[in-house]
Amino acid sequence: MAQREIQVFNAVQRLVHWLHVVAFTVLALTGFVLYAPVQSLAMGYAGWTLRLLHRIAAILLALVPLIYLIFSPRRLFDSLKRIFTWTKEDVGWFKAFPRYYFLGDEEAMPPQDKFNAGQKMFYIVTAVCLLLFGVTGFLMWFGKFAIPTWLFLWSVFIHDLCFIAYVCFFLIHFALCAVHPLMRGSLNGMLFGWLPEEYIKHHHARYYEELVSEKK
Amino acid sequence: MTKAMLIDTSNCLYCNACTVECKRENDVPVGKDIFWTRMEVHEVGSFPDVRQYFIKRACNHCTDAPCVDVCPTGALYHHPEGFVVLDQDKCTGCGYCTQACPFHIPQLEVFDPLTGAAKAHKCTFCIQRTANGGEPACAMACPFGAITFGEREDLIAQGKERVAALQAKGISKARLYGEHEMGGLHVLYVLEDEPEAYGLPSEPQYPAMVTLWQKIAQPVGGILAGLTAVGLLADWLVVRRKVRIGEEK
Repeated sequence: MAQREIQVFNAVQRLVHWLHVVAFTVLALTGFVLYAPVQSLAMGYAGWTLRLLHRIAAILLALVPLIYLIFSPRRLFDSLKRIFTWTKEDVGWFKAFPRYYFLGDEEAMPPQDKFNAGQKMFYIVTAVCLLLFGVTGFLMWFGKFAIPTWLFLWSVFIHDLCFIAYVCFFLIHFALCAVHPLMRGSLNGMLFGWLPEEYIKHHHARYYEELVSEKK
Repeated sequence: MTKAMLIDTSNCLYCNACTVECKRENDVPVGKDIFWTRMEVHEVGSFPDVRQYFIKRACNHCTDAPCVDVCPTGALYHHPEGFVVLDQDKCTGCGYCTQACPFHIPQLEVFDPLTGAAKAHKCTFCIQRTANGGEPACAMACPFGAITFGEREDLIAQGKERVAALQAKGISKARLYGEHEMGGLHVLYVLEDEPEAYGLPSEPQYPAMVTLWQKIAQPVGGILAGLTAVGLLADWLVVRRKVRIGEEK
């Protein structure tokens, strides 16, 4: 029996997502060289090259929210609205998540919206970090000689903290969409835009109800 | 035993021979506002009771050097003889040292602000000369004996003698600077007034942000990422087992 599928992400959303992935990968790898630091790669001309790559990728990443806003504003605001709406089901998620992710226990999990509480958290952390990365990165790039020393050192520190948060959340994000046996099907949602109705019913029951009631 | 330099500001006449000789010896770019050592004039007091202090400013070669701690390439390092060396071939011009130094000494020569191509500049104690038993170019050039190079302990004793002599002449504020600052500087100054009168901080501090960033945030970040990875691996193992049991049923 052919499964019914539901479109969860449009082309613009998928484009900005994968642009984000590419830019983030370059930024994380080149940034890690200074963070760790990997002395042999950070040195001299190698360091210059990595810095240039980091800056090019930073501009790409800055395009992500812009493209999203220009080409798909309704989807963007819909997502943002969902992200910042927290209900008792989200509180329930925090109680149910260990059994849900470790044991596949779906009974205890209250019905979740299009983004479950964990995804909301991920989205918010990513958005806040993006903003802070942008501001502190801009200060360090163009303000090295114009801003006071304390501000520069705070910028480096905040850039570092964001990097830590971003990488930890990225690891979880990646593991859930590509490795976790019960969730990895969701990767198709970001690759092709569509997810099986069954998947949404199981994992995003509240969103499913919303879609059903819209259709009526 | 570590080496050091003693700058007797009471003998300095602001001739700039040290600046010139330093630029020549170390190929420091000319025509740019970049110096490995530079002369500063500080005016103190108000008319008619005014005077000028001259001081040679360069890297102070701290024992607890924040620049060495923040350098991501190993271009800045502690030489066994006590001074802080900058290896420009390794330097990538990130500029962290220029921000971390409590004396604001390292300078960045920026080739392109857009790409960030740059190199740091600072005094290396003329490593090419001192490593072979010579003395730094500035010390050699000074015609007034205001710059002495030698064993740090000897220079501390010599500096204290000079301070005592100045005090005996009625300069009550005379003091030796650098014996304890930043874990002990390898440039010692005989001053005739408070350090601030010469543009030196009386209590230079290792920047707290550098400690937070280097000693706390970076290791903690590694631990957090590691814990996340371990948690995910545990999750994968547990849930995979659960799924298999489910399939067998």
